[in-house]
Amino acid sequence: MTGHDNFLDQVTALLPALRAFGRSLCGDPARADDLVQDTVLKAWTNREQFQSGSNLKAWLFTILRNCYYSELRHRKFEIEDPDGVCAGQVAIAPDHDAKLHLRDLSRALQQLPVDQREALILVCATGLSYEEAADVCQVAVGTIKSRIARARDRLVELLGDDAALVTGHPVVGALADTEGATEPRSGGL
Amino acid sequence: MVMSEKIKPGEPPESAAANSSEPVPDWLTSRLRRMFSDVMDEPVPDEFKALLKQLEDKERGS
Repeated sequence: MTGHDNFLDQVTALLPALRAFGRSLCGDPARADDLVQDTVLKAWTNREQFQSGSNLKAWLFTILRNCYYSELRHRKFEIEDPDGVCAGQVAIAPDHDAKLHLRDLSRALQQLPVDQREALILVCATGLSYEEAADVCQVAVGTIKSRIARARDRLVELLGDDAALVTGHPVVGALADTEGATEPRSGGL
Repeated sequence: MVMSEKIKPGEPPESAAANSSEPVPDWLTSRLRRMFSDVMDEPVPDEFKALLKQLEDKERGS
């Protein structure tokens, strides 16, 4: 077995994780699969650059992320609006509709800035360490941590009440200290 | 986690909160993991198999 066969086998094994990462980044299954295809092609083309023994998953995530960002820049350019006609519409954020049901986690994720979203997903969902996530995003570990903290705060804000209702225990962490915020007091009446 | 207690001057103040041992509540982590594993459990579409096969053939050919 040659090293290259091995490489493709490993890439194949990581396809499910790549698809999941792509989808949580862009929120769109079809677009995510396009990103993964681009990623596989780029990885294969540049396979000599991959140092065997290092983390292929992190390397592929890095490529996928780069594909996503270059696509984002492209889209931004495409929807450029010199007269500002559409700008007003685009700028309307669904803030009045900000409370989302728990099952809308993926929708809530899409409301986060992309740098916070990717940090949260890489560490909490993909199983990468803080250090690996920092490598993928090319920032310091501390930056990853603060992005995750901000992502957490925003998601707790969006989903926290629902989470407490569904899971049957009070929201832990940031909101746990605000006494009686969501629960009716039993002895109060 | 313990090793990274030092505060870097350039970091935004939020990083202090992020240094707590469990920055993301369990319910959120498990939701994120489930969302992720739901996609991972999906069968990989045929287009990927075709692409990988194509690359494999290319490699053998060269």
